[in-house]
Amino acid sequence: MPGALDGIRILDLSWGVAGPLGVMLLADQGADVIKVEPPGGDPFRDAPGSPVWHRSRRSVVLDLKQADGKEAFLKLCETADVLVEAFSPGTMAALGLSYEDLSSRFPRLIYASVPAYPEGHRYASRPGWDALVQARSGAQFEQPAWRPGPAHLHMQIPSMGAFFLLATGILAALTSREDSGKGQHVSTSLYQGVLAYTTMLWQDVEHLKAPDSLVMAKTYPPGVHQVSIYECANGEWLHAGVNVGRVATRSMEEILGIEPLDQMRMMTDMAYRAENQQRLRDAFITRDRTQLCEEFFEAGVGADPILTIAEGFDYPQMRANNMVVSVDDPEFGLMEQYGVPAVLSETPGEVQGGRPRVGEHSRKILAELGYDDSTLDRLAADGVI
Amino acid sequence: MPGPLDGVLVLDLGQFLAGPYAPMILSDLGATVIKIEPTRGDSMRYGSPFIGCQRGKLDLALDLKQPEAAEIVLKLAEKADVLHHNMTKGTATRLGVDFDQVTARNPEIVYCNTYAYGLEGPMSISGGIDPLYQAVVGLEYEAGGVEHGNPPMYIRFGMTDTANAFASVVGVLSALFHRKVTGKGQDVWTSLLNGGAMFVSEVAKLADGTTAPTRPSLDKELTGLSPCYRLYQTQEGWIQVAATTPTEWATMCALLGAPELGADPRFASFEGRAAARAEIEPRLEQAFGARTALVWAALFDAQGVPAEVAVDTRNGETVLHDADNERLGLVASYDHPMLGHMTQFGSLIDFSDTPTGDFGPPPMLGQHSRAILSKFGWADAEIDGLIERGVVYQAAEGVPYPWPL
Repeated sequence: MPGALDGIRILDLSWGVAGPLGVMLLADQGADVIKVEPPGGDPFRDAPGSPVWHRSRRSVVLDLKQADGKEAFLKLCETADVLVEAFSPGTMAALGLSYEDLSSRFPRLIYASVPAYPEGHRYASRPGWDALVQARSGAQFEQPAWRPGPAHLHMQIPSMGAFFLLATGILAALTSREDSGKGQHVSTSLYQGVLAYTTMLWQDVEHLKAPDSLVMAKTYPPGVHQVSIYECANGEWLHAGVNVGRVATRSMEEILGIEPLDQMRMMTDMAYRAENQQRLRDAFITRDRTQLCEEFFEAGVGADPILTIAEGFDYPQMRANNMVVSVDDPEFGLMEQYGVPAVLSETPGEVQGGRPRVGEHSRKILAELGYDDSTLDRLAADGVI
Repeated sequence: MPGPLDGVLVLDLGQFLAGPYAPMILSDLGATVIKIEPTRGDSMRYGSPFIGCQRGKLDLALDLKQPEAAEIVLKLAEKADVLHHNMTKGTATRLGVDFDQVTARNPEIVYCNTYAYGLEGPMSISGGIDPLYQAVVGLEYEAGGVEHGNPPMYIRFGMTDTANAFASVVGVLSALFHRKVTGKGQDVWTSLLNGGAMFVSEVAKLADGTTAPTRPSLDKELTGLSPCYRLYQTQEGWIQVAATTPTEWATMCALLGAPELGADPRFASFEGRAAARAEIEPRLEQAFGARTALVWAALFDAQGVPAEVAVDTRNGETVLHDADNERLGLVASYDHPMLGHMTQFGSLIDFSDTPTGDFGPPPMLGQHSRAILSKFGWADAEIDGLIERGVVYQAAEGVPYPWPL
């Protein structure tokens, strides 16, 4: 399938979550991605996510600390549009591969960085594990747990913001380059990834009415939307009773056979909410979840089952969106992965194949750059590739 | 400052969060964004989330139920590069601004409709909000620790609204780049469901129904994934540790007065520690209780053990008024005629050659109606007529909202 980024070559030196996943979005839109790995491979290859986030690309192993490895990398840069790195500050400079080192030699190169914190910030040298950025940014304290105090988020909010920002920044720079002819340094960070998710939470506004900020207020036990979570029969959970922009033919209370509630008051009046929560819980606990979902949908009231991640793959609408794709992984074989989230009519792109083995394409890619077999043998013997 | 999308014109017909946030990102990147808003106001204008996704836009208030209004949109679309909205299925057609109707006037436009569920399929007629997609992709189940008997938990950050907005930004920018190269426009769609799937994309499913690779799971108390990668409560405050390497783990245990845990070969790996949480953690939890989080953090820093105090930002207060964040443009401040002085996050992405910033405040309803129409060729008398017939709303000087704020 044609992709919007056909003909764009990306050198991906990144590791962790945000870099590989951000690059995956671009690879699935058609970019030719070369994963540049150190000897022995990306240390995150054994981590969850690797079969997915490292898909749609080829792998070349280069020891950038050796002169021959660096030279090969610079030859690759001549053929590339984008370079992506996610090292801690100073790492690329120590290799002689900082933006300043490369920009005069490759003026069209877009150099993208996604460290934990922005360059020049006093946190910039802090360690970059996702959970540490969760803690430092305040994201953990924004999500109250089932006890007082912060919650650890398994879903990695900092990285899960930064990967979108990385792909967005690269695409904006590519678009701009079509006019200017020039590449540039694009950077975002895990810390900015958290900020991207604070639209509804972190506003400091002089004249905002207090009740307006209560809707999403942090409370303990936590959160306004938690009150829409109900246990049904058989221990199954349902998120129910939200507005989905349809004209409801029956209310949630009618479907459950209980007295009508003031939904606006349920959001803002804590005493009223507490008083009625138990009535709702008692009504849900006896009902069958599947049947309730059908009744809610029929009536135009929002409700969806609370599924495990694995169950989510088989949610019918997920399949209808073609979001589940089969990918062949060298370690696990045929597996289902989530596919391409943005669908383009003329250039839909697609998953370009499973994750490559470490250095699977080293010789082929270097041969494309003009390396002959005897040189490649020597580089392999020296541990450069 | 111009930004990388300087010169790009975007029409934003979206409402709530998932619709308008993507155009706000495009505006942040330098595009000119016209928010085309119902004359009664965006359905979210009453709440604080509204102002989080509107800054920097120009505002044209139109009553799209009147055919004249659709004609205005189509005329503007002739000049636009992108049209973006999150109307439910069929609504755009009814209003006269669907893909075919718009591309009949401008075949090169990038047209993006973001949905709640999707374009086709069993739920596609429905709109929806963030919690439903957090529910079906598995976020609520996982975040709450349901496998331990807890209730599911909604994550407060509007996750899938935001993911939808960013997925559509990536889609629109891919299409915009393709148009720059080929001159061709196209149709783009995504959904809250599609965006939400990205959060759990690390999970893949094998033919036998199991998932791979194995992931560590969250504990009942929602502290973390392993004794070396979790939150601990201290004498005062909480600390998150990430002592993942053998050396870091051994050093942390030694500092906590439990060197034998650090030396135990059964606990040499992340997984080994995760499997023995019940054995290891009571000891460490007690040790952490002897000092404050700040003291532990200083001790860990000195010995190279990765850790951070879990900061209570008091609802973002300290982040929004942090000297480094201000200096680096990570926060933005503006004066709004009705809302007063406001501060929110600033640059999410930094560009060396096309820097962004100095974002404007969120527009008031119909603030720029007259100015926009005038700029795009409508005569003053025509505009007067449109306002008189209620097709267009122009905020009066000094009375920017038709309702009390």
